[in-house]
Parts: sequence; C-alpha cells; structure tokens
Amino acid sequence: MEKKSQKEKKKKLPFKRTLSNNLFALRAIWTASPIYLTVYLGSSLVYGVLDFLSEGYLLRKIVNGVEGGEEIAGMIRYVVILGGVSILVYSALNWFWNVISPVMQRRIAAYIEKLLFRKAAEVELACYETPSFYDKYVKAMDEAYERMIKVMRTLDNLIARTVALFANSLLLFVIDPWLILFGLFPLLLGFFKRLENIAGHDMETEKKPINRRANYVRRTFYLGEYAKEMRIGGMYENMLRDLRETFTEFRRFIRKYGTRKAIYGYIQSVGLEVVTILGATFYSVWSAMCIGSENGGMHIGDCIVVLGSIGTISYCLNNLVQNFAEFGEHALFLEDVRFFLDYNPTMADGKEAAPEGGGKLEVRHLSFRYEGSESDTLKDISFTLHQGERIALVGSNGSGKTTLVKVLLRLYDPAEGEILLGGKNIKEMTLASYRNGFSTVFQDFKIFSMSVKDNVLLRPGRDGDDELVEYALKESGADEKVGRLKSGIHTILTREFDDKGENLSVGEQQKLSLARIFADRTPFVILDEPSSALDPIAEYKMFENMMRATVGRSVIFISHRLSSAVLADRVLLMDGGRLAECGTHAELMALNGKYAAMFKRQAENYLGSEVTEHE
Amino acid sequence: MSKQPRQKLSSILKNNLFMLKKVARYTPDYFFWMIVEGVVWGTINSASGVFSFHLLNTVEEGTDFPAAAGMIGLMALFYIVVYAFDRWYWQIQNPLMRQKLHLKMHEELFVKARSLDLSCFDDPEFYNDFVWAMDQSDKRAVEVLEDTGKLINRIVASTTLVGLLLTVDPVISVILFSSSAITIVCNLVGNKISFRHSKETNPLWRKKDYINRVYHLADYAKELRISRADELLMKEYDENTEKIIEVDVKYGKKYFLFYGLGWNALSTVTFFTILVYMIVLLDRGELAIGGFAAVVTVIWKIRWMLIDLIERLTKYPKHSLYIEKYLEFLRFTPRIQTGKSELPPFESLEFRNVSFSYEFSAHPKYQFHEEDYKAPVGENGNREALRNINLTIHAGEKIAIVGYNGAGKTTLIKLMMRLYDPTEGEILYNGVNIKEYDPEAYRKAIGTVFQDYKIFATTVAENVMNGAYCEERDGGTVINALNTADFADKLGTLKEGIHTHLTREFNDNGTNLSGGESQKVAIARVFAKDYPIIIMDEPSSALDPMAEYNLNQSILHHTNDKTVIFISHRLSTTRIADTIYMFDTGRLIEEGSHSELLARNGKYAEMFRLQSEKYQVSL
Repeated sequence: MEKKSQKEKKKKLPFKRTLSNNLFALRAIWTASPIYLTVYLGSSLVYGVLDFLSEGYLLRKIVNGVEGGEEIAGMIRYVVILGGVSILVYSALNWFWNVISPVMQRRIAAYIEKLLFRKAAEVELACYETPSFYDKYVKAMDEAYERMIKVMRTLDNLIARTVALFANSLLLFVIDPWLILFGLFPLLLGFFKRLENIAGHDMETEKKPINRRANYVRRTFYLGEYAKEMRIGGMYENMLRDLRETFTEFRRFIRKYGTRKAIYGYIQSVGLEVVTILGATFYSVWSAMCIGSENGGMHIGDCIVVLGSIGTISYCLNNLVQNFAEFGEHALFLEDVRFFLDYNPTMADGKEAAPEGGGKLEVRHLSFRYEGSESDTLKDISFTLHQGERIALVGSNGSGKTTLVKVLLRLYDPAEGEILLGGKNIKEMTLASYRNGFSTVFQDFKIFSMSVKDNVLLRPGRDGDDELVEYALKESGADEKVGRLKSGIHTILTREFDDKGENLSVGEQQKLSLARIFADRTPFVILDEPSSALDPIAEYKMFENMMRATVGRSVIFISHRLSSAVLADRVLLMDGGRLAECGTHAELMALNGKYAAMFKRQAENYLGSEVTEHE
Repeated sequence: MSKQPRQKLSSILKNNLFMLKKVARYTPDYFFWMIVEGVVWGTINSASGVFSFHLLNTVEEGTDFPAAAGMIGLMALFYIVVYAFDRWYWQIQNPLMRQKLHLKMHEELFVKARSLDLSCFDDPEFYNDFVWAMDQSDKRAVEVLEDTGKLINRIVASTTLVGLLLTVDPVISVILFSSSAITIVCNLVGNKISFRHSKETNPLWRKKDYINRVYHLADYAKELRISRADELLMKEYDENTEKIIEVDVKYGKKYFLFYGLGWNALSTVTFFTILVYMIVLLDRGELAIGGFAAVVTVIWKIRWMLIDLIERLTKYPKHSLYIEKYLEFLRFTPRIQTGKSELPPFESLEFRNVSFSYEFSAHPKYQFHEEDYKAPVGENGNREALRNINLTIHAGEKIAIVGYNGAGKTTLIKLMMRLYDPTEGEILYNGVNIKEYDPEAYRKAIGTVFQDYKIFATTVAENVMNGAYCEERDGGTVINALNTADFADKLGTLKEGIHTHLTREFNDNGTNLSGGESQKVAIARVFAKDYPIIIMDEPSSALDPMAEYNLNQSILHHTNDKTVIFISHRLSTTRIADTIYMFDTGRLIEEGSHSELLARNGKYAEMFRLQSEKYQVSL
C-alpha cells in the first residue's frame, strides 16, 4: 500500500492528461456560469494593459519628455486621462467582484458540490470500506471546488503575465535588444521551481496518515464520549506518547523535505535577483555611463525603465513557469476528482422498475465476502421470504445477520448466488426502485440534523405529511417525547448547526428511527436489532405495535432477545455465515438444536425463578 | 448591532505579552529568531528602494562608474547572504520550531483537559469553548509571534523608506500619508462590516458543512442509500445556497463602498496626483531623475507598508480576546477536590441522602466574549436525576441496579465513581466521605465497563490494559482477561492475536470488531486489573444470548470475593444478584433479593413478568 502510493506520486501525468484535467475544471466552471469565467479572464487583459500604460510606458514617456524639453501640459493631460480611465475601469470591476461575483461563485460551488454529492450517493457501499478509495474520495470532496477555482486563477494569471511580458519586452527591445537575454534567464529557473513543488507535494502526501493519527489523538482528548475512559486507566499516557511520536515524524519530514525545498528556492531567488535584475542593471548602467547616449548607449531615462521593466519581465516569466507548474499540480489533484466522478459503480444499475407491491423474495445459494477478507461472511444461503411473512433472523454475534441484510438491500452484490424478487433477479431492477421497496432501521441508524418530521419521512415533504408523521411516531412510541418538544414534529434535532436543536437520548433516537417504517408503507421492512436501546416495556410495546402495523408487509427483524422471535412466522438461525436452522419457533424447539439451546439458556433465568416461586 | 466587546488597552497588552512570554518559555529559539527575521525582512523590503535611489543619482552625475559598479556588487552580495538565511529559516528552522511549540501547547492542554470534571463535558457551552481553545491555542500563539515579527519588519522598512521619501520631497509624503490614513479608516469600517457579515453567514456555512459531512462520512452512507434522505439534503442545500447568496450580495455592496472606492479608487487617485506633482517638479528642475525614479518604485511599497502596519496593530485586540478565554480555561479549577487520606481496602460503600442534578449552566467563570461561540443554556438544565438515595453496599456483595430508561441508573454509577459530586448528601467509603480521598486513587479501586465504552485505535492488548502494555508483565493477564470475557473464540481468529490493531483508522490491516465483540474487549478491561469493585453498566446490551449467558457465568465465577454492581434493564441478568435495587425516575423504589421483590409484587415483579412472559408461553 505504502509502496504503491509512492509509485503513484512519482508518476508524472502526461501532458495530454494535464491539459485535459485542467480543461475539465474550466468546462465545469463554464457550465455553471459562463459570464463569470468570461469576466474573470477578460479582466486580466484589461488590468494587464492598464498596468503597462501606467508603469513602464508612462515612466519612459515622462523621463524622456522631460529630458527632451517637451511641454508638460501634454504629459499632464496624458496622466490625467489615464488616471480617469483607470478609476472608472477599476470601479466597475470592483463592483463586479464585490456584488456580482459572489452570487456566481456560490452557484459554481453548488454545481460542483452537487456533482460530487450525487456521485457519493451512487458509488457502492464497499467503496467506503476500501481505504485507498476512501482517501481519494475524501480528497476529491474536500478539494474539488477550490481546485477548480485555482485552475481558473492560474489561467487568469497566465493571461495577465503574458500581456505584461509582451508589452515590457517590446519596450526593452526598443531600448536595447540585448536586454531580452537577461529577461529570458528566469526560464532556466523554472526547472527548480518544479522540483520545489514536487518536494512540497511529496511532503503533504507523506504527512497525511500522520496527520490522521494526530487528529485522532486530539479527538480522544476533547470528545466527551472518550472523557470517561480517559479519566480511568492509563490510556491517556499512550495517547500522549502517540502524539509525541507524530511530532517526531513531522519534524523528520521537515528536515527531509525542507532542505530540498530550501535549496531549490534559494537557487531561484538568487538567480532572479542577482543574475537577472542586478545583471541587467549593471549592463544598462555600464551602457549609460561608459558608452554614453551620444555614442548609442542608453539614456538615463532608459536606465530607469530597465530597472522597472526587467523586474516585471523576470517576475512574469518566473510566474509563467510557475503557472505551468501549477497546471501540473492542479492536474494531479484533479486526477482524484475525476477518478471519483468518472468512477463507474461496479454495481450495475438495472433497467426495469421493481414491482411496486413487492412480492416473493427468494435468496438462492448466496455467498458473500468482504473485500480484503479471507473467508466468506455468508456461505451458501437460500431461503424465501413470502409476501406478508415475518421472519426473525437470529444468531450469535458475527454470524452474518447484518451482512445478509445489507446484501438483501443490494448495498453489496453477492459473490455467488442470486436474489429474486417476484421471480426476477434484482440486478435487473433499478437500484432506486428496488431499495424504495424497503423500510430499514439499522442498528447504527443515524439521526440527521433536521426536523423530527424530516427525520421520520427522510424524503421531501408533501401535503398531509404531518398526520402521517404523528401516526408513525405514535406507533413507534416516540410521540410522548416529541409531544413534549417545543415545536413538536418541527423541532430541529441535534445541535450541529442550530443552537436551539434538541439532543435526544439513544432510546428516544431509536424510537424515532423506528417511526420511519410506519411512515412509509413499503412492501418490505427490515429491522436490525430494533430494541437494543429500549427498556423492556418500550420493547414490548414496540414489538406489539410493529406486528400490528405491519400486517401484509414482509418483515425481517434481527434480534438478540429470543422472546421476540416467538412472534415471528418463521425463525432463521444463522451460525458462522450459514443458515443453520429454519422453521417456526415451535418447530425449532422441537428440533432441539442450536436455537432451542439458545432459547433455553435465555429463558432459564426467568423460568427458573418462576419455578422456584411456585414451589 | 453586535459589537466586539471593548477591552482596556492594558489588558490587550497584558494578554499578548502573556502569550509572547509563554512562547519564549516553551521555545526560546523561536522567539529569538522571530526578532532576527523581522529585522532581516525589514531590510530586504527597503533595500531595493534605497539602492535604486543612490544608483540612479550616481548615474545621473555620469562620471563615477566604479562607484556604481561597487553598489551593484554590494547589493548582489547582500541578496546572496540574506536569501540563504531566508530560505533556511522558512523551510527548516521555522517549521521545526512551530512543531515544537505546537506539541508543548497541546501537551499542556491535554493534561488540563484530563483533569477537568467530567460534568464539563456535559455542558455544551463549556464544551464548545474547550474545543475552540484546543483548536486555536497553538495557531494563535504562532500568530501573535509572527505578527510581532512582521510588525518589526514593517517598522524597520517603513522608517527607512519614509526617511528616503522625506529627503526627496516632503509634499509627496504628506499626500501619501493622508491617503493612507483615509484607506486605513475605510478598512477599519470594512472590518466591522465583515465581522457582521460572517456572523450572519456563520450558521449558514455550518449547515453547508454539515451537509458536506453527511456525504463525506461512511456512517451515513447506508442511510443515504436506503432512504430518500438524499433528496431532502439536496433541497436543504439549495435553499441554504440561496440564503448565503442573499446575505453575500447585501454585504457586497457595502464592501464595494469601503474597499472598492475607499481603497482601490483612492490609491489610483493618489498615484496619479503624485505623478502630476512630480512632473511639475521635474519640469522646474527641483527634482532629480534618480529621486523621481526612486519615488515611483517605493511609493506603492510605502503605502502598503503603512496600511499593513495599522492592520497588524488591529489584530492584537483580537488576539487578546482569544487569549483571555484561553487563560480562563487554563485557570479553571476542577470542582472535584482532591482529598488526602490513604485509601484503605474496601469494606463498604454507603449512599446517605444523596441527591443530584445535572447543571448545565453553572460555569459562571465561563463567559463568552465572542458572540459566535455563545450557545444558549439548555432548557432542561438543572433537572434532578437522583433524589434522596440511601443504600449500602458491602464487600463481596453482588448488586443489581435495575429500572427503565432514564431512571437514574447510570447517574448513580457516575456518582459512585466520583465523576461527579452529589448535589446533596454524601457518599461514604468505609464510613468516610469519599471526598476525603484522592479521586485518582479512589477510582483505581473501581473497574467499570461503561454502556458507551470506547475502543481505542490501538492493539487489543493496549485496549484491554487501557494503557501501556508490557509483554512480560501483562501477557498472561490480557489473555486471561479476554478468556474471562468470552473473547477467546474471536481471539483465535485474529492473526496477530492480542497485538492485532483495532479499527482501520490508521492501519489498513486493522480489524473492525462487531458491537458484541467490542463489548467483550471492554469487559476484559475490568478483569485485567484486580479491582475490588466492579461495575457493569448494561454489560450485555450488544451480546447475543449465548454470549450473555457465558459472560454471566464467567463473572460469577471470577468474582467470588469481589463486589460487583450490575446495571441492566434485562432482568434475567440481574436475577443472580444478592440485592436488587429498583430505580424509577431518580428514586430508589424497591430493594431486596429477587424472590423478595417478586413476593412483594410491585414494579419489579411487573417488569419481570413482562419480560418473561414470552419465554413461558413458548417453551
């Protein structure tokens, strides 16, 4: 892994790809707002021209004019007109930057971010579990917009510098063609600029995992959830040790890459300041003093222009080189963005719509293995969920229950075997329509930072929703708590961004997430340990309600409390990734296998006591 | 209108000096080099202006070429030396020193954080403040220092350049100064506006960040795929974008007024005015060409320097605000006071008339200066979580605390561990108030598995030891503890055994344990050390029935002489206890053995029947 990424870094993008990545960014901006791109790039032309007119050109005009004894009225008129035009143009552009462009920038950002969001919702779940993919993905999400804007900025600089370069070179050429040589020297320095950039990029990449580690340590110290454990035992010393280690690493990186960066930078600075600028200065001073203007040497006015213009030229050239280097850098970063956006989910979307009323769900010889895992998590599983049937999925920890549910939801595709809905392979159906047939509450359900209502519906609202939500909350037992909230079902949950938001307890959150299955009358319901955070009374009520409210719907629920399995039409017992036993509660008890053993163990405590009491 | 709070000049000075002193103490080299660097850069910034002035004057005189060449040579030497220093400093020395400072400040904060009362973490106001202090401390220290370095640089450079300007013509200086002054005023007003602007957009950005995060985090990935929350988020995102735009445009117009006109237009006017003035001077022969050229080169630089100088000064009050808060945090003394008595071997633990309420607002020392960080006090602050509790636990007893969600079970445990002190009443250890003991020593007598235990991203062994692990000393202990916690089967499947890394946070070969497996590791923690008292807060909530059964047996078996306190709402687990305490909304309502409580036919009996019902009918 480490080795691979090293190699990846060294790989320079081919010119074509660099170009294409940068064009990709510009195209995205253009699509979002063509006016913005036009004005942004156009303005640099204007700035370039105005800057030239009021710097090198103007200076020469004045100094030579004064030396030649010209009328000052004409010069002053020129200065005043130029000043007036500058103010008007600058003000107009300022209006654009301050008032118009923020709107466009937001729109561009929204356009790009939404592209990424859509993709994020589309890639298969397995991607989140592959660290190398996930890293790229996070990088893409973090950087895309900024990076694309940077491409535009670099292009803009490129235009501005080119204008200035041409204008000033022309001026120098007129004065003395030899001067151009000094101006060209910085081009050679571009090589070092590139080396410096590579060192910087290498350093950042190598720092990333260490950064993650350092951030983790910080989290353990300041998150309330770790606070208890950090106060007992000696884990905090380990964390401090880790923190120190990360810093030693950081310092090592600085020594390793800093020296390289310093040397490359030094060569550039000295080359520019000493060789180019002072060199040209020396040449023109020599020309003015030792040859003299009467012998074809320079005027003192020319000297002044040289002093100014050579600086501008070398600055522009150096910048141009840097600009090109920047394009290369942008391209590297955009590579991740494009990789992500161009990523074709391996889970192919089907074309047909899933049957609306649900139907029989058949699982045939299903096997599944997590990526990077050495053994199958699910092994040759076959069963049928008939319409309206309610199945309890039981088994010990790690037996594959949750994985089975995930595969059923087509969050993963099975390695072998197939799943049929109404006799048709679910791969032929569109993911959205297939998944829309399920209401699911996972063990690690999430509460969104939105209103109670939105959290229950998890879809954009429509008329009559309020009643539906009230009903669903009542069924799940969350109505009592929600009723006590100030704004009822419109209360915002969590304090993520609303200081008046409500934080619910875990039990209440679970009830709330359960309401989701009542709010949506999907043909299938999946509950993954729906009662783990509920107390017995709440659990009891919940199961009763669930059974009553889901009549006619097909239900799979996972539970550790076998007392609830009794309610199911059928019980599936999983063991080590296999379907070990299957049948009604009574059948499995009669079978006297694993299920019966488990059930008796659990019941022992209760029934044992009953017996003693009756004695 | 929101205003930045006014501060006394003396406190601004004091706070910033405090920070500078702190940096000087932690990293004296950083402090020293900051001053050197400020002077060096100040010289670089003014050198080229002075150089071209003298050079052009020499050229205009037209005779002394060696002198001119000498000047150029000197300048070249200057650059060669100074840039060598500059690159070394910024690429190597400065980052190294920053890291050092960073580490020292973090260590200090972390140690402080750990000493804080746990109750602080329950207080959102405090918590925000704390995270913010953590986040900002070293950045702010670096900023104060670097700003001071830049200040030195600006002072050196602008003094030299203004001196140069004055020798050329004083009127130019006057024009330049007055225009800079206007710009500075505009900027100050502009800063106020942007303060209000960000205050208005902050909540909107937080929302945007939140949506971003939802798409970022793997936690939400499943939920996004199985529901239509995606559409909902997109809608929110769009609405939010429109709101941001609206606010941005409103403020954009103001910015135009102060920055666009106040800065941009004014500097253009200034430049052209000075130009016209100099043309007149040139024409009259009152200005040499060298002077003219020098002025043109340095004019922008001086203006920028002057503005920047003031801008930098305005940063110190902001730094001071932060430092004030940081100081308050450092000064914060834990309310849990340390006692002095030696902790004797455990005999009994008694709760005497104990009441407790969570206080969310009781940090009078914590006043927020920056409005952005002000969170309103929770409405449900100050509710009583426990009322008038009396109970006694003797050594070796097996105790169960039962009750519904929100009955106060977990709060009881937190008090027992002295993570909080009771609001009323007292807790006695061997008849002595636990406040008399050192809380660290006291807590070491209690092994606890919390309901919301955390697994750390480190090896299994270190997780079990909850700290450093040493092969010779702890090897057997860890394996025994894991066996006791019924983790042996899973351990067998782990390639590197107890050295397996948990979570994939940093280690691609790390193992992600399931909920039940993690819980077993957490349980193993209490078996790894010889605690006289063991507390199990819902020890089996994520365990399957078989594991639960094995665990219960194991606990009974291994804790013969130890005191064990179970908390659970699964009554099957608690039946084995010697004494059961039933809690309801903060009160202790029933106590006794299982059969006593059943005979009493109260709430406990009712709860037990409800849970056992299903098993009875179906067996």
